[in-house]
Amino acid sequence: MRLAGLGYALALLLTLASWPAEGASPPTDRCAACHLETGDERLAGPAREFAGDIHAAKGLGCIACHGGDARESGLEAMDPAKGYIGKPKRQQILQVCGRCHSDAQFMKRYNPSLRVDQVTEYASSVHGRRLKELGDSKVATCASCHPAHSIRPPSDPKSSVHPLRVADTCGRCHADAKYMAGYKIPTDQLQKYKSSVHSQAMTVKGDLSAPTCNDCHGNHGAVPPGISWVGNVCGQCHTVMAELFKKSVHAKVFVEMGNPGCATCHENHAIKPASDEMLGLGDKAVCAACHGADDKGGKAATEMRARIDALRTAHDKAQAILLKAEHSGMEVSQASFDLNAASGALVKARTAVHAFSVDAVAKEAEPGLAVSGKAFARGVRALEELAFRRKGLVVSVVIILALIVGLVLKIRQVDRRQEGRDG
Amino acid sequence: MADEAVDREATRRRFINWFLGTSAGAFLLSVLYPVGRYLIPPAVGESTAGTVTLAIKPDDVKPNTGQIFKFGSRPGILVRTAQGELKAFSAVCTHLSCTVQYRSDISHIWCACHNGHYDLNGKNIEGPPPRPLDAYVANARGNQIVVSKGA
Repeated sequence: MRLAGLGYALALLLTLASWPAEGASPPTDRCAACHLETGDERLAGPAREFAGDIHAAKGLGCIACHGGDARESGLEAMDPAKGYIGKPKRQQILQVCGRCHSDAQFMKRYNPSLRVDQVTEYASSVHGRRLKELGDSKVATCASCHPAHSIRPPSDPKSSVHPLRVADTCGRCHADAKYMAGYKIPTDQLQKYKSSVHSQAMTVKGDLSAPTCNDCHGNHGAVPPGISWVGNVCGQCHTVMAELFKKSVHAKVFVEMGNPGCATCHENHAIKPASDEMLGLGDKAVCAACHGADDKGGKAATEMRARIDALRTAHDKAQAILLKAEHSGMEVSQASFDLNAASGALVKARTAVHAFSVDAVAKEAEPGLAVSGKAFARGVRALEELAFRRKGLVVSVVIILALIVGLVLKIRQVDRRQEGRDG
Repeated sequence: MADEAVDREATRRRFINWFLGTSAGAFLLSVLYPVGRYLIPPAVGESTAGTVTLAIKPDDVKPNTGQIFKFGSRPGILVRTAQGELKAFSAVCTHLSCTVQYRSDISHIWCACHNGHYDLNGKNIEGPPPRPLDAYVANARGNQIVVSKGA
């Protein structure tokens, strides 16, 4: 075993020593030429795929990872004495990739903004720790997510790590119940994520900044967020809610109870769009999981829900009457403009729920209620004016028609008199 | 000869009757059509006006400030950059439709609801807004500012 290990180390050392100089012409010709001629798909496939790989585009060839001598043809090219290591073993992959990707000076020449801490990050991940500490040969390494021979940058829609494809890439292992059998973790994350508001935002609305697996778990340093820092993870985007939550009574209590912060109410992978029904003690209310009608928290939840419902109802009522007036041809644009403040207040009141304080919700909701009330009153006035105008129009039309009828009768009368005189 | 005179008289009367009849019809139509149009609500409720002249003088908008204006029934935001350029955008946040505001301290357009930030090209640069603000065209014409939806 020791000898085998020594052999690997020596082969790797020779590979690294024979690393191609930057700017060297791609030494792929002879490797690819032979491999494509073999007719063996196992050998020809990688050579063919590599043509679309980012490394090929940057001028790096087969020997960059596999070692050997690309100038030779035939088996001499694959002489272990020339650093040839063949297909890197799982334990070797990290070193092979890290040889360049951890070298800041080297990477700058290709992409100055690319991070060079992937290997360090990987060592902190569950994958990396299991590989190092337990020798687990099933865990993901570089090539598990960045398929060897067809690696593309994340910005390339064909890339396995493009935002739209990350979930499926992770899911190739994590959604495979058979593969994951020994790990005692759920395998429904992918299915749940695809039902979530985040996935919908990304795949349906086309918002590529919406989170996928790596945004919450990290990519190279992938780990499940700890109980105490779930809020920090969600707070990367949901900053206002996270700040309110951090100062709230729940922040401390949740940690003490072992509840995973935001995920306690919103779930982790199957995050649904937040709704008012989640608040209070109703059937769909998440508060009801811990609180009852008689405790302080339950009463606060009910009161907060009542405030939000009142504002939503008032806003919708005002909006409906203004829309009716507008469709009837009345000019109510100022009232509709002012009502925007109420819809803003409703959003803020819903956000304020994360402070878990009736006062915080009331502070945002009350101005919105006042605005909604005024807008509704203006809508009522507009409709009253419309009714008045319509009545006035009917009266005018009746008068005009009566005038016409009167004129016709008068003309006939004049004609008859004229005929009488003439006769 | 007498028959010919009677025929001419009958033709003239028919013509006058026809003329009066169609005139009366046209008169009735001209009265009833506007009445009908008044009573039937328009299909489109919102004004499609693409331009608004603001009740703000160009000199009143100081550099590195912004203010909300009414564009139809929706809010717009007028910004004068620190360099003196006038810019206008829809003030409806692309996240949950709150009204955005200008933050002079960071020279960003900012949404207070969920801490969304936009740069002075209206581009969403931080927080949850999924897309940029709709851009308007702002022009100072003499002592007036005219904002329009398209170039």
